[in-house]
Amino acid sequence: MDQNQHGQPTQEAVGKNQYQSNPMMAPTNPPSETIGPYVTSSFPREKQHAPQDIYQEQLNNFWAKQCQEIEETTDLRTHSLPYARIKKIMKADRDVRMVSAEAPVLFAKACEMFIMELTMKAWANAEDHRRRILQKSDIASAISKTDVFDFLEDIVPRDVGIPRSSIAQNFDLSMPPHQNVTYPPYYVPAMVTGRPIPDQNHHGP
Amino acid sequence: MLPQEQDRFLPIVNVSHIMKKVMPANAKILKYFINFITGEASNKCQREKRKTINGDDLLWVMTTLGFEDYVEPLKGYL
Repeated sequence: MDQNQHGQPTQEAVGKNQYQSNPMMAPTNPPSETIGPYVTSSFPREKQHAPQDIYQEQLNNFWAKQCQEIEETTDLRTHSLPYARIKKIMKADRDVRMVSAEAPVLFAKACEMFIMELTMKAWANAEDHRRRILQKSDIASAISKTDVFDFLEDIVPRDVGIPRSSIAQNFDLSMPPHQNVTYPPYYVPAMVTGRPIPDQNHHGP
Repeated sequence: MLPQEQDRFLPIVNVSHIMKKVMPANAKILKYFINFITGEASNKCQREKRKTINGDDLLWVMTTLGFEDYVEPLKGYL
């Protein structure tokens, strides 16, 4: 076991929990003991989820690794995002007249790092909620918790997990508008034009 | 990979389907990121009476908008 007398993991065990080969990969699980067919974790349940400072350390390691990767890069033509598409998106702005050749190259790498950073923060949120599947709500949470991502607030709304129809389900919209009824937000009663609708319950002439 | 070993993993297709549920949001976000940076770089070029957006403009804008962590790695591309 990688533990000392106080039950804390040694430096080797902690080192395994950092992003090593790929910054996008999730941190590996803490060391575990196999007893028969069962696997029991050597850490208490509460300590399995890393605190915020560990996530911050992982981010710092990520930026250092990015610098190192770029220094080692010799062929700038190998890229993960198409330059032509980036240039097309840039040119979509009418104010943009010309774009230098280096701009899409820079943007391709910047977008790559942007995706990585956002995904890492979203993954941290998923881990905090004891999930192993990244959801849209994790991305929304990462955006809301990071100041520099404020420009994305309108694109990925915070209540992304709530179905749109759930608001209307709480209200009985079958009642006629003249009675006292609480309408859901943004509900506008329909305008009735033309002849009035006869009362169904009234059987008189 | 042995057949028995293969059965212990989820099919890649199913996993990728789950991942793709998140992807449309990411693709949209990326477009807005490019537009956001480009718009500010364009404003800078207009103020300085230039027509071409270059790499230095993008790095300056990233620093201004709070993406200064990106600047140091990207300097290697200039």
